[in-house]
Amino acid sequence: MDILYAIFVDPFVQMGANPVFFLKVMWEGLVAGMLYALIALGFVLIFKASSVFNFAQGIMVVFAALTLVGLHALGLPAYVALILTIAVMYALALGVERLVLRPLVNQPDIILFMATIGLTYFLVGFGEFVFGGDPKQMITSDLGLPHGIYRFHLMHKVLIVQKLDVVAAIIAVIMVTGLAIFFNKTRIGRALRAVADDHQAALSVGISLNQIWVIVWFAAGLVALVTGIMWSAKSDVSFALQIVALKALPVLILGGLTSIPGAIVGGLIIGVGEKLGELYWGRLLGGGIDAWLAYFIALAFLLFRPQGLFGEKIIERV
Amino acid sequence: MPADSAAVKAASQPEVLLEVDNVSLAFGGVQAIRNVSFDIRKGEIRAIIGPNGAGKTSMLNCINGFYHPQVGTITFKGVKRADMKPHDAAAQGISRTFQNIALFAGMTTLDNIMSGRNLKMNKNFFWQLLYFGPARDEEIAHRGKVEEIIDFLEIQHIRKTPVGQLPYGLQKRVELGRALAAEPDLLLLDEPMAGMNLEEKEDMSRFVIDVNEQFGTTIALIEHDMGVVMDLSNRVVVLDHGEKIADGTPDEVKSNQDVIDAYLGVAH
Repeated sequence: MDILYAIFVDPFVQMGANPVFFLKVMWEGLVAGMLYALIALGFVLIFKASSVFNFAQGIMVVFAALTLVGLHALGLPAYVALILTIAVMYALALGVERLVLRPLVNQPDIILFMATIGLTYFLVGFGEFVFGGDPKQMITSDLGLPHGIYRFHLMHKVLIVQKLDVVAAIIAVIMVTGLAIFFNKTRIGRALRAVADDHQAALSVGISLNQIWVIVWFAAGLVALVTGIMWSAKSDVSFALQIVALKALPVLILGGLTSIPGAIVGGLIIGVGEKLGELYWGRLLGGGIDAWLAYFIALAFLLFRPQGLFGEKIIERV
Repeated sequence: MPADSAAVKAASQPEVLLEVDNVSLAFGGVQAIRNVSFDIRKGEIRAIIGPNGAGKTSMLNCINGFYHPQVGTITFKGVKRADMKPHDAAAQGISRTFQNIALFAGMTTLDNIMSGRNLKMNKNFFWQLLYFGPARDEEIAHRGKVEEIIDFLEIQHIRKTPVGQLPYGLQKRVELGRALAAEPDLLLLDEPMAGMNLEEKEDMSRFVIDVNEQFGTTIALIEHDMGVVMDLSNRVVVLDHGEKIADGTPDEVKSNQDVIDAYLGVAH
């Protein structure tokens, strides 16, 4: 009886008893979830257009952030460094297309997946070689990102919200809306989806695969840059960040590998679920459940809804 | 198709749109096409027929740039082409359908046909990213053209259906629509009526004739149904084991002894 009470009743009593604390936990969960969602978004972009699962997305986040900080450390103004970093991400996209994807065209997906693992280790090595391995500080204030907090007075209590988190949320919403429109309403977006569906047919209507791959890797690079800035503003720029990228996996499984809204909703569910689970249910299992809860949720989804919440329904005609 | 109009076309000898000259294609030791030459004239429906494995689809793939023949040249609109990529062929005005339907299964009929207009749309990445101003106007203008094609092919009712869910016959029609959306000069149809019932075949034949007559599109057609081939086409080229064994009007081809042998088989 006690255990049932602890699982099904007590947490909700606590939530009701201190709603401001509950709101705070929710907000933290949403912010974390949004960052997961951004990483997942990078995966989705590339998967949609080339059905390649890009293992290197995590390191691309680190690499973009490192490049930005590194260029700034050379004495360049923050915005110049930002523009140059965007150029570097474009060069990376071109390089990946020319040196990795083009020679491997028409190979099975698993080969391309292995190639992205290779790319990961290349970027780790290259990044350490150029920028060094020690953690760095993100140039938050130089980029004009706010710091400090907002205080909200609710029910005689104070709810504290980081200004940075609010800005991050706004930027994420703008970026996601833009990408969703781009994918669904424009010629290039349609071409991206066409390439994902059928290479041969895409070629026959005059879509150049090479060009599409560059665009999609560049878009994923831009998403990586934004994610890198946001993540490292909260901690440091270091290679440890790429581990966080693995959190994108449960998000992808939950949301569906091919769905932009899926990445967002999946990210938010995982973020909020982790925080709520840890704070209200965690002590039942001795704490620390946020480390594995996401994967557990993902596993349950794989059993019952393998295409994810919003993934394209797998249509097979026999 | 009235017989006399075909005769008139043949008599006036319109200019050659595409010329295949002495083309050979091999995959390793397998000789798929051997020294084949023929031409396609502007405005005609040209059938390519032959038994299974004769090299018909390989021929189409050469014309559209998927394969590059080792020997011989292909001249399109008077320009001899070097080894070109399929999207370059599309840019020059060649579009096609596939023997095994190659549609974008997850996309709607509308999006599939819109994707056929890919090359007609040229607002750049920047505007596309914003989906604002020119890119948006362009999208709307092209949508109008696509609606005309949808009306023409009588597929209004499946406009918003993901094509993966459509029955086979309709998928074939959507694929034709996507090829037409590019407003091609040369349309390559690889077995457009394969696997269709009689009614569907009649519909498809009507569309092919209408495309040819209303839009003046030149069509190269691979088809196994001899009735259809004889009715539709102005001229027929026959391949067997990668070689050309006959070339001429449907009547000439029908009475050619080599063709009869190829189809019925002879004792060697």
